[in-house]
Amino acid sequence: MRPDKPGEGPAVLLGEVRTGLLQHSVELPLSATDRLLGLRHGERVRSSQRPNVQAHSPDLLTGVDCALATGSHRSVRGVGTVTARAVLTEGRVLQASVRARLAAAEGAQRLPWSHYLARPGTVEVIGRAEAPALADGHLTAGPGATLDLGAIAERMLTGIQGGGGLDRRAPFRSRRIRLRWTAVRADLAGEAPGGRLTVEDDTLRTLRLTLDRIDPAEVTAFCEDLALHDWLLSTLGRLIERSGLGSDPGPGPVLKLRPAVNHLMHLWMPGARVARPLAPLWDGLETRPGFSRQWAAAVQRVRDHLALQAVGLHAQPVRKD
Amino acid sequence: MDTTFREVSADPRTASVPLSHLSLEIGHLYMDDFAAGPARLREQFARVKPWADAARAACTAPAGRRPRISTCFLIDDYFTRFSSPAEVVPQLIAEAEACGLTIDYLARESACAETDGCHPARLVESRLVESPPPGTNGSRPPTTATGWLSNGERSPGLDHLLAEAMGGDTGWRPPRETEARRHSVFLDVELWDEQHGRRTWSCPYLAAVWQLLRLGLLRDRGQEVLHPADRPETFPHSWDALPPLVRLNPHADPFAAYRTFSVLASRFLPIEHAVKIVLEQWAPEEPVLAQLAERAGQEGVPLPDDVIARVGYVFHGQP
Repeated sequence: MRPDKPGEGPAVLLGEVRTGLLQHSVELPLSATDRLLGLRHGERVRSSQRPNVQAHSPDLLTGVDCALATGSHRSVRGVGTVTARAVLTEGRVLQASVRARLAAAEGAQRLPWSHYLARPGTVEVIGRAEAPALADGHLTAGPGATLDLGAIAERMLTGIQGGGGLDRRAPFRSRRIRLRWTAVRADLAGEAPGGRLTVEDDTLRTLRLTLDRIDPAEVTAFCEDLALHDWLLSTLGRLIERSGLGSDPGPGPVLKLRPAVNHLMHLWMPGARVARPLAPLWDGLETRPGFSRQWAAAVQRVRDHLALQAVGLHAQPVRKD
Repeated sequence: MDTTFREVSADPRTASVPLSHLSLEIGHLYMDDFAAGPARLREQFARVKPWADAARAACTAPAGRRPRISTCFLIDDYFTRFSSPAEVVPQLIAEAEACGLTIDYLARESACAETDGCHPARLVESRLVESPPPGTNGSRPPTTATGWLSNGERSPGLDHLLAEAMGGDTGWRPPRETEARRHSVFLDVELWDEQHGRRTWSCPYLAAVWQLLRLGLLRDRGQEVLHPADRPETFPHSWDALPPLVRLNPHADPFAAYRTFSVLASRFLPIEHAVKIVLEQWAPEEPVLAQLAERAGQEGVPLPDDVIARVGYVFHGQP
């Protein structure tokens, strides 16, 4: 990696978003989010109500000094801070989002700590490694001694879910889903701008972005938005599967699907908070695999079932005399 | 046609504060010094004067501009309460003037802990980000010792030693300074203690808060933390009745400054070493940092990124 040039933006951004259901029986009102997300004394919780209700905790920093994976056996040293924040959407879906921008260190030694605190959210790379290799290393790293953004996100989620103010009675069971992501500048990657989303398993997705210019705040917001919608889609799918819709002809599925109607169906709003330069990425995902198409089909299926059940329950059997 | 949309709650503003080039501290007053009488005060100011002049001479402003320098003086009313402002402050002003020094701003040390519903000490605490020892990858929470902050890795505790001894390992490991150059100067700073549920901040910790107030780096929910009050016509008989920060000199340059310089007796050296350890692990707010950098840039004043590099001292000997 070479040092960033002014105005170019960082060469590589690494991140991880963990998304889950807020462990609370009802939607948390905006007035209560100050307490939940006020993770630092003296700093405001940021909230907005257009186009949906979303609140952000202050950014918290964690110091790291460890190996960075490069996708090969060789690793380099990274020293600096990573940024973590929590995002609550519609008082219902909680995300912990951790990111680090990588920058080339000027020397071969670690510097006084105040140097790194003057560059919050930046991890300086000591040693030779190319930007794409560091991005790939982050996406493929297993548990070990290398930088572990996921653990920081997990601690943040656990801390908030276990803190005061929540009754820990979620309306339905769901899984946390991880999105591990990277963004590399296109000129360094030698590729055209674009994204590659991979469903690795039930609870892990990876996203590799290649962009002409990396704005850390915008890219992070995009990844949080994608993680939110991927979680919604996966969670609704699981609710439908577990409801027995399609196999149980009785009223069981209706009862089991009720939480989906009450708590999830109004949350779909892909790209609503995505900056204009990144909008084409969403457009691409809408074409293939077609997030909104799948969501619309699932929602329609639930609604059709509810409608049929309503007709079936209220209609009198027709007598053929 | 283009439309814009903004929600203030989503994008709050950060207040900026007026800034001098240099905040020059010309002394701390503790009960013992005051109890020793006016001669002791005059002796202290006489000792400070040449160094204060040197600091003024060393403060560079852009060509053709007058450097903005404000002086300040801190009185301890946090650890010991002695006398009253009505008795102490006029004496201080007179003795300083007799030595050719002007005290622009007078602050009470308790203001570093709490002032008008704001808790500067807590603001500072919430932004401490501990320096990670090598091998820290985020997988474990930082090994914090509640109420303490060090510049490295501590020696293993007794429990750990016993466990190791059972396993046949030989015990003690020395502490290690993270930024040691071969040999360590390890320091562990007590930030506060608690008795009967009441927290008392330590002297070096409040001294670190004092530095950050002078550097104009603290904000409470984006707002200024310590705004100077005008000098009252008469000084009150209780410290609580004195505003936390008083502008004694109505023509003074702003209280906060790009850089600080403190002229202190050498007995304060350990305290200020502890201050350095706190400041080195304090993460400034990005918007505030950017604000200061932008203004320094507009003025053509060099300003280091690192907060600790903005802090300077002279330690003088005692008679």
